[in-house]
Amino acid sequence: MSFRFDRRSVLRGMLGGTAVYMGLPVLDVFLNGNGSAYANGAKLPVRFGTYFWGLGLTDTPTGGTRWVPTKTGPGYEIMPELESLSVVKDKVSVFSGFRAIADAKANQVHWSGHASILTGIAPALASRFDGPTFDTRIADAIGTSTRYKMIDVDASLSRHPVSYSTRTGTTFASPETTALGLYTRLFGPGFQDPNSANWKPDPSIMLRQSVLSAVKDQRDALMAGVGKADQVKLDQYFNSVREMENQLAVQLQKPDKCEACVVPAAPNEGPRSASVDVVNANTKTMAKLLAMGLVCNQTRVFTFVHTAGSSETYVAGQSKIYHQITHDEPTDAQLGYQPETSKIAGMVMQAFGDFLVEMNAIKEGDGTLLDHMLVMGFSDTGYAKIHSIENIPMFLAGGAGGKHKAGQHIHTAGDSVTRVSLTAMQLVGAPVGEFGTGTMKTSRPISEVMA
Amino acid sequence: MLKNSGVLCVTLVALLLAGMLRPAAASTSAVTQQPSSDLKPIKVAFRRITESQYRHTIADVFGSDIQINARFEPEKRDEGLLAIGTPQLSLTSSGFEQYFALASAISEQALSETKRDAIVGCKPADTARADEACARKFVAKYGERLFRRPLTDVEVAVRLKSASVGAQQSSDFYGGLKLALTSLLVAPEFLFRVETAEPDPVNPQQYRLDAYTKASRIAFLLWDTSPDEELLAAARSGAIHTEAGLKGQLTRLISSPRYEQGARAFFTDMLQLDGFENVVKDPAIYPKFNQSIADGAMEQTLKTTIDLLITKKRDYRELFTSNETFINRPLASVYNVPYLSAGNWVAYTFSPSSERAGILTQVSFLSLFSHPGTSSPTKRGIKVNEIFKCEPTPNPPADVDFSKVKDSTNGTIRGRLLDHMENAGCTVCHRRSDPPGLALEHFDGLGQLRTTENGVPIDVSADLSGVKLVGAEGLAKFLHDDPKVPACLVRNVYAYGVGRKTGIREEDYLADQTKIFANNGYRVPDLMVQIASSPEFFKVTGSSGARTAALTPAAATVQGVHP
Repeated sequence: MSFRFDRRSVLRGMLGGTAVYMGLPVLDVFLNGNGSAYANGAKLPVRFGTYFWGLGLTDTPTGGTRWVPTKTGPGYEIMPELESLSVVKDKVSVFSGFRAIADAKANQVHWSGHASILTGIAPALASRFDGPTFDTRIADAIGTSTRYKMIDVDASLSRHPVSYSTRTGTTFASPETTALGLYTRLFGPGFQDPNSANWKPDPSIMLRQSVLSAVKDQRDALMAGVGKADQVKLDQYFNSVREMENQLAVQLQKPDKCEACVVPAAPNEGPRSASVDVVNANTKTMAKLLAMGLVCNQTRVFTFVHTAGSSETYVAGQSKIYHQITHDEPTDAQLGYQPETSKIAGMVMQAFGDFLVEMNAIKEGDGTLLDHMLVMGFSDTGYAKIHSIENIPMFLAGGAGGKHKAGQHIHTAGDSVTRVSLTAMQLVGAPVGEFGTGTMKTSRPISEVMA
Repeated sequence: MLKNSGVLCVTLVALLLAGMLRPAAASTSAVTQQPSSDLKPIKVAFRRITESQYRHTIADVFGSDIQINARFEPEKRDEGLLAIGTPQLSLTSSGFEQYFALASAISEQALSETKRDAIVGCKPADTARADEACARKFVAKYGERLFRRPLTDVEVAVRLKSASVGAQQSSDFYGGLKLALTSLLVAPEFLFRVETAEPDPVNPQQYRLDAYTKASRIAFLLWDTSPDEELLAAARSGAIHTEAGLKGQLTRLISSPRYEQGARAFFTDMLQLDGFENVVKDPAIYPKFNQSIADGAMEQTLKTTIDLLITKKRDYRELFTSNETFINRPLASVYNVPYLSAGNWVAYTFSPSSERAGILTQVSFLSLFSHPGTSSPTKRGIKVNEIFKCEPTPNPPADVDFSKVKDSTNGTIRGRLLDHMENAGCTVCHRRSDPPGLALEHFDGLGQLRTTENGVPIDVSADLSGVKLVGAEGLAKFLHDDPKVPACLVRNVYAYGVGRKTGIREEDYLADQTKIFANNGYRVPDLMVQIASSPEFFKVTGSSGARTAALTPAAATVQGVHP
């Protein structure tokens, strides 16, 4: 409490004694007792992100799997569609045999799988989720001390921006869709270089805060006589106002020195096409920027979409898009799987491998950024040809600050996907003991991967 | 006698109960049992304003020279319209960030040294200090334009506080006003259209939309912007509640050149032209496609539609058959016709041999509803049914057995789709969705004319629920004569205006409106006025959530809430 008092006093002093109301949140940097004592450099923060790609991986019912390793536990073998992970294999756990369970609800194609993973609830409709996604719970737990509570990225270059992060189930995050957009958000106006020698608080920030208090003051009047659905909308609006206030409050702090933070150059506008090579290149560029954004403490939580559930990506020159091919291509009788589909799945996974490699490339403390983060990679389906929501490929990558016993293959015979989600939440320290509803309700994380 | 009196008693009690309970149940709240005249105003909808509504409002209020550079939140389409989906949305934190930065940028421009005198309308006693009287005038005036209703005293007071603190800190009266204006521009009352209902003086147990909400509904429907001064005055005086007052405003709005802006917004939404913002084509397959084609295609469709239906006030159904259009130079290359004008756009009529017929054969529809590398009869068919007939197609079932679907890299796409139609899980939808698309197969994924695919002639015959037709022209004629098509437009205009999907209770109303539309020669401007002057257009229905806790039983009974 005394810290809060001190900060106010400092800020008030800067304003020449004028009484400006400021809703200052308690910043983690002032709360050194909880293990994220970043201020004195003792321990590096843990970051969390989700990485999504559309159309699953190849595991045909006849047995032609292209991604599920035979060996379980540590030291699993690299399967063809996981080739891109081989470089960081020891930092990645593979989860197979987990399924989304719709109970009495219909399988909403290219929707129920990731909705279940993210909310723990099988969705009733294909246009909305029936609860908030768990990344927002993690952001609430670990994301309040950085400038952004979370950053949402969509690298797919598809027709409409795609994000599967939501607090209400209806309003989804509006993601950054270009490298330049992401760069501007992270390092453009408002960015404070932690290693700058001449940091000064910007007094105009306090005036901007007063604008937000004026808006917030009207909350009760606005909420009167409002129906429930509209209350949810307004709650989200005011939540967004609070996040903006937090941003401004963080900008009034002198940022901690951070050796690993090297402000990158602005990227060039890349080509705009949903072909898989362009999407992969975009993914890599955006991963690089995001990694630096994490290291420079702009955010601790992110969601990243490579391609949407109903993926629009294609191989340049092929008239059919990948999605069509997954459905149309016959299973090769000799091989036991769809060869073209599997080839493209490998290309799509290349981007995930590249993404992790970028995270692993930044040295931080005695390890890499990847060691101090957890990335949950997952898709919307298992075997895309039949819209299966069984055996949805899921991965946990990164050391989570030493909490994740990575490099294992965990296989179950049809456990709920929510177990992996719950594990992710607990590994990064979100206070969640139970997740999901109906058959997907679980309080059992996967202890094998937890240190 | 006893028996009779018993019956009488029961009847009396029943009557009494009915008579007494109804007003009680219908009053403000079952909890307080207040008389019905104490109904409190309720907020029946929060409709997030769209990007174009935001832009139009700022241009109207502060001048069209104000630069608006921001990324707006994505909108959401539901039941075919963004106007139905977007009102369900809130603001994400990144969206708020954008609006916040934009609000500061607009305030800077509106109160720049060159503009401030004209905008503010009063001068402070000392430009280096706060001036409450002048600030109050400014906040009240622009608050009303932006919130689309007068501000409450408290709402003014909090902005005056911002203005005062800001002026003090920056030693600049206008610095303070900028803060006050910024706080108006990020307020939910501006970013959302707050629709409010009040007790109806004629029938105090019922709600009616308040005058400002009515003014907003017609302003956004016909001009795609917030109400102007005159409309606000009609709300202030209550004139808008009278038939003559409403009619007068509608006539004024529809006769204004700005009606074109409203009609463009409506057709952009209905024809789903917003999809062009992100359309992607494989350059290896469609080398002619680029951003100027995308922009041109969208503009061509809007120009054609506005010219035909708004300027010339022609029969709506001619949209499918008329070959009168406009082209620019990039589009001429896709249509493969010479461009003989030095101007940017030129009126052009497609020849009968072009196989073009109406709006469905323009590059916009054909390229928007295709894959990056191929045409898609299914996508096109789904969109014909959804956009023009209000018949949505359900998502494909999850358990479709695709193993029976053969790969067809040879021949035409028809073969592959015929496989779908023979498949039990697929047939119901594909029999409806594919035929309109198959009729359009002489146009590739970009909209270029072709007659063969993989060296095989393309068959463009189709069977639409028993009606056999051939090619784009056959489809155009079919749609021209299909009664579902004008009925769908009527539904769309109404739903667009009221911002929600229509329910079973509105079927009779919509059928009546469709009859009037037909009797008036299917003229779109007349239809819009006709709908905006009908009591149904202002009926209080409550937002999706208003039927729950916060809403009184009375309101619930008069609301006619739709699922």
